[in-house]
Amino acid sequence: MKLLSLAVKDFRNLAEVVLAPSPRATVLLGENGQGKTNLLEAIYFLTTLKPLRAARLVELVRHGAERGEVAGDFDGPGGVRRVAVQVAAGGRVALLDGKPQERLDDYFEGLAAVCFAPDDLLLVKGGPEGRRRFLDRAAFNRWPAVLGEARDYVRALRARNAALRGGVAEVEASFRAPLARAGARLVRRRQALVDELAPRVGAAFREISGPGAPDARFAYRPSAGLSGEGSEAELTAALDAALGARLERDRDRGFTSAGPHMDELVLALDGRGARAYASQGQQRALVLALKIAEIENLRSALGRPPLLLLDDVSSELDPAKNRYLLAYLAALPAQAFLTTTDRRLLEPAAGPDTTFYRVERGVVTPLVS
Amino acid sequence: MAVADPIARLVKELARLPGIGEKTAQRLAFHILKAGPAYAGELAGAIAGVVRDVRLCSGCQTLTDKDPCAVCADPRRDPRVICVVEGVPDLLAIERTHEFRGRYHVLHGALSPLDGIGPSELKIRELLVRLEREPADEIVVATNPDVEGEATALYLSKLLKPLGVKVSRIAQGIPMGGDLEYADQVTLARALAGRREL
Repeated sequence: MKLLSLAVKDFRNLAEVVLAPSPRATVLLGENGQGKTNLLEAIYFLTTLKPLRAARLVELVRHGAERGEVAGDFDGPGGVRRVAVQVAAGGRVALLDGKPQERLDDYFEGLAAVCFAPDDLLLVKGGPEGRRRFLDRAAFNRWPAVLGEARDYVRALRARNAALRGGVAEVEASFRAPLARAGARLVRRRQALVDELAPRVGAAFREISGPGAPDARFAYRPSAGLSGEGSEAELTAALDAALGARLERDRDRGFTSAGPHMDELVLALDGRGARAYASQGQQRALVLALKIAEIENLRSALGRPPLLLLDDVSSELDPAKNRYLLAYLAALPAQAFLTTTDRRLLEPAAGPDTTFYRVERGVVTPLVS
Repeated sequence: MAVADPIARLVKELARLPGIGEKTAQRLAFHILKAGPAYAGELAGAIAGVVRDVRLCSGCQTLTDKDPCAVCADPRRDPRVICVVEGVPDLLAIERTHEFRGRYHVLHGALSPLDGIGPSELKIRELLVRLEREPADEIVVATNPDVEGEATALYLSKLLKPLGVKVSRIAQGIPMGGDLEYADQVTLARALAGRREL
């Protein structure tokens, strides 16, 4: 689906923005702190209903405003649809052609966006929660139902943690089965995604790093020694048993110590953990490989590439990797939004149909190139 | 507020209702004032009456003005089958089907440790007392298919099975008369997981 037009109102520092994106690359130019990333976040929020950076949705609303809104016209197989999301202190409302959507299946139909931001470069080096987030967002892009499933799991987890602290054994036991079931569902989703991505990660890493590159491995390691393989029913039983076995310890700590919220995503080069052994350059190549694997996987699953959002990535990559990324983007028939402080960094990706905008103090104006 | 004290008082009381903000409360207050004393008397009477006359049925714990309630008092209803629901609206929904010929038990909620709702906050003890007085053959647990409802169902089944009563759970899946393509993905996934051999 192509984004034909975008309208942003009272979102972060953006009071009012109207944009006619290029079908290919739209470049947002500007100094730091002017609102480039906010514009990317607006598009990301529109397509995923998740913020990129904010911990709470209300942080997305422009200071002094009551409600923020992002709306876009998307051209898809069924014609043009207007997709919009409003956010206020009370939460967010997703609208499709002006009608609020409670179930989001229709809303997400055909929408998928992959964002690549400087924070992503910490994916290898950083803590496991960053890798779990990558996994869950990628799984949600692949199967929108994951949004609800992940929410169910978090809800069950909070309830069971509260039950652990509540001290009534029978109540805790009653929440264990729903938790194990929701957890098993999420583990299966992640495993299915990793199975799809793993060969692509290895291939992309080889291409980025050139001949003689180490073998990049990408594997999912569920907590408590569980295996992501097997049927959902088997996994539910295994997770339930693991929760039971850790009951005493978990009760002392008031916290559930096994399940998808403790799982790890393992990245390795030639069999050695990338977190400890990979050089900084290799780690960045791995992250790039992960993102390209996700894009390629969505492209083959959806029949077209997802919307791409690249936040000032070129300034963080060395010239060789930047060249690789831009050549890859130039060859990919995807719609992309790229931010930069220096347009020369993006020149190799800018084709004849690239549109340039300047972002200055929350105001976005078209640039004639 | 620049209005007469009685109006301000009414606005304040109305604004305490859930879903009613200050502006709506003000609109309602002026409406009541304009509608005149007869309407105001009826409204006041209805509000006082609901608190005075509605109580819990001593059998099924539903809201009723007659104890026992109409269902519990109906000799044609099968006392050997009891359907457990979270709330009165759930009871009404099942009743509308005219399919269930047993009796009900309303829990008035579901287990929710996050909100501090444990077994003693629900009408579970009342269910046990009731079963002792008039034993049943089957308990149909019709709590919601969410985390709290599932946990409540499990809790009840562990509690009730030792009493030698059959405990069943309502099925989940695709709504009848609907198109598969319109079913939401979670329901569809669950329906697939719970498929049966033909």
